[in-house]
Amino acid sequence: MPQAIAKKDHLLSYLLIIVFMGLFGLWIKGIEIETGRQQAGLIIFSLGFVMLSAYVIAQIVKIAKLPLITGYIIAGILAGPYVSGFLTVEMVERLRLIDDLALSFIALMAGAELRLSSLKLRGKSIALNILLISFCVFSLVVLLMLYAGNHFNVTSNLEPIYLLVFAILLGVICIARSPSSAIAIIDEVRADGPFTSTVLGVTIVMDVLIIIFFTFAMAISRIIVTPGGVINIWLIVVLVGEIFITFLIGAILGKVISIYTDRVGRDFLLFLLFIAFGVTRISLWLNDYMIVHFKMSLYLEPLLICMTAGFFVQNFSRFGTYFVDSLRRMSLLIYALFFSLAGASLSFESLAVCWPLALTLVLVRATGIFGGTWVAGKICHDPPVFNQNAWMSYLTQAGVAIGLAVLAARQFPEIGDHLNTVVLAIIAVNQIIGPITFKMALNRVGESGKR
Amino acid sequence: MKIFFAFLLIIFLVFSGYHLSFRKFGIPLFARTFYLTGLEFLFLGLLLGPQFLNILDVETCGALAPVSALLLGWIGMLFGFQFEISKLRRFPRVYFLAGFLESFLTLIVVFGGIYFTLPFILKISEPMRAVISVVLASAAACTAQTGLAMFSSSKIGKNQSMIKILRYLSSIDGLVAMLAMLPVFVFFPRSTDIAASRFLFGYDIFIAMIIFTAILILYNLFLVYRREQSELVLIIIGMVIFISGFSTVMNFSPLLSNFFVGVCLVNLTSEKEKIFTTLVSIEKPVYLLLLVFLGSAWHLQSFWALAAAGGYFVIRFTGKMIGGFSISLLGLKMKEYPAGLGLGLIGQGGLPLAILYDFQQGFQLEVADVVVGIALIAIIYSDVMSPNLIGRFLKKGE
Repeated sequence: MPQAIAKKDHLLSYLLIIVFMGLFGLWIKGIEIETGRQQAGLIIFSLGFVMLSAYVIAQIVKIAKLPLITGYIIAGILAGPYVSGFLTVEMVERLRLIDDLALSFIALMAGAELRLSSLKLRGKSIALNILLISFCVFSLVVLLMLYAGNHFNVTSNLEPIYLLVFAILLGVICIARSPSSAIAIIDEVRADGPFTSTVLGVTIVMDVLIIIFFTFAMAISRIIVTPGGVINIWLIVVLVGEIFITFLIGAILGKVISIYTDRVGRDFLLFLLFIAFGVTRISLWLNDYMIVHFKMSLYLEPLLICMTAGFFVQNFSRFGTYFVDSLRRMSLLIYALFFSLAGASLSFESLAVCWPLALTLVLVRATGIFGGTWVAGKICHDPPVFNQNAWMSYLTQAGVAIGLAVLAARQFPEIGDHLNTVVLAIIAVNQIIGPITFKMALNRVGESGKR
Repeated sequence: MKIFFAFLLIIFLVFSGYHLSFRKFGIPLFARTFYLTGLEFLFLGLLLGPQFLNILDVETCGALAPVSALLLGWIGMLFGFQFEISKLRRFPRVYFLAGFLESFLTLIVVFGGIYFTLPFILKISEPMRAVISVVLASAAACTAQTGLAMFSSSKIGKNQSMIKILRYLSSIDGLVAMLAMLPVFVFFPRSTDIAASRFLFGYDIFIAMIIFTAILILYNLFLVYRREQSELVLIIIGMVIFISGFSTVMNFSPLLSNFFVGVCLVNLTSEKEKIFTTLVSIEKPVYLLLLVFLGSAWHLQSFWALAAAGGYFVIRFTGKMIGGFSISLLGLKMKEYPAGLGLGLIGQGGLPLAILYDFQQGFQLEVADVVVGIALIAIIYSDVMSPNLIGRFLKKGE
């Protein structure tokens, strides 16, 4: 069958599926929910509905040569609270644990995709990219907010001192990227090569560094708003301790996974599910425990633990390939689940409130990334095609940025709502365009399908 | 206390891992049976649950509701896939009849036994008394041959024909259990008013037929083109969750609805082999996770539960012996097997666990927790004793 006709037939069947599922959805929405069990059933149904429609929409967007995760995100948006209202905010919140489990799997995979040999080869490029992207994005965002902040409705009423704090925190948050999106795209197009290694390296290392940058930004902001304030060294010590413990636990976990693979080898996915669940729950429990018993917060980032574990299995054991292959067998399901829920969580309410500022920031951020990657590429003598397209790989943003905005909002309630709104709006834009541009970049540099 | 249990958990996981790597290490028969059936995961669930570590607390279990629905649906669909008519026809009809009869007689005996003894143990209303009796009788009707794993290949080779009939009966008898569970979910969770339920029954059947047809069409639309294995995993998991959620909203059972879908798919779709391979590929993790979930919801009350479970075990044992004896009277083909066939049908396996979990999730009553707790202990009794009883049965046949 010629490809065009095949695609047309596929499209027809996908449209029929959407119609059928839509009818089911309409019917079930009309049923009066009387019991807690029915309520739980509705959430279960919605999850199945979103997963299946994410798959179908992803297949449709694939015909248009767009990345699958764009399809998943679109499905989430369509099913989410701002379009059809099929998934309510409460439902998305109740599915958070499933979401976290999926994220842990993605983090394991992201860590396992980082090969020490490639990192060594691209070390200079990775370091320069991190340094220059961070500098350019931070500087441009801070300058924009300081000089033009008063012209936007969200920030026009802020006092100058809070506008400065807002600019600093937003500058740091804009540096954050989304490792989950990066790994999903790389996995989908089976990309491999120096460009891919650099992007992956920058994204993952940035995910660690952003926490350090953010802590510094918070400390400086506190000094700005508190007359006579000084940097609390204790905070820095705790942060370094947290990161060290996170790596240590990740390394131990990586060793445990290797031993299990070596000695047992069976029920591997079940074992990884236990690991993912254990890491997510124990991190939360430990934080609560430390607050209750020692009055201090010790937050071990589950994402970083899993990435480190994946990295250790890949680089310090014989089972890297087996590990990645096992995870890849479930990857389609995990990506569909994770990104459709991410789509449903995107805040279009925030975008509606501050779209002029959000769009400006998206442009400024993209400019900063372009500047940083271009200069880094020039210094490292990368091919021109890399330098021209690298910026497209770093646009996507997701959970980390939201998490940082929430933390900042807690510390600085005076700007909290404004910051949250702006960050959610920026993410809504970047999460939609980022995967598309990243796939384009991988195609243009010729690293798609190289694995 | 929690740290102590966390420590215990680590030891347990290490020990389990060790067991999985060295299956033949010399531990006592009792413990070996325990490990082979995977029942240790029931205790892992108990340890993780609210009674001890509280890692799987009520809130977490609520958040994991889609996973538990998936487990029930998966088991239901997998069981439905055993009923491929063309494959069933390869065996003599009398085998099918025997499986059906043995299971039905066990169901009747256990139903009667439970129905008349229940008021002495628990204070419950009349409709619930019938519901619990049906649930326990359905769980009792199921059989599994996990105990055979304890025998050497020479022993199995010597008793090929006996083992063949045991395996066949075990694959059939769950059908009676599933059909018996049907009225439980058709009539009850929504209302204990039987008259009202009867009124809605006809309407429900009509609606159910429409939904069922629509689900089958939807499934076929997904499978109309060749899919890669990873796509099939997503489609099957998505559909199982979708159907389970739909059933739950409609106050029906995810286990049963997926079972019926499974029966239809295996007989109607050309992709059945691929779907079956996918279903089987994660059968064991699904079963072990079900055990963990059941364990976390397991309410260990007092020692009287051990005695009550003993009572349930004895009633089931009687039912299986009567069933086994009756089918040995079914014509020439069945006469070659000893009358004590019931001895080989004591192991219960995974399906009754799914039935109990389905009931617990569907009814969400305190009495359901108590009953499931007792039934779980009885299943442990059955699974621990079954290898010994199978051995006796095989000896009789030699």
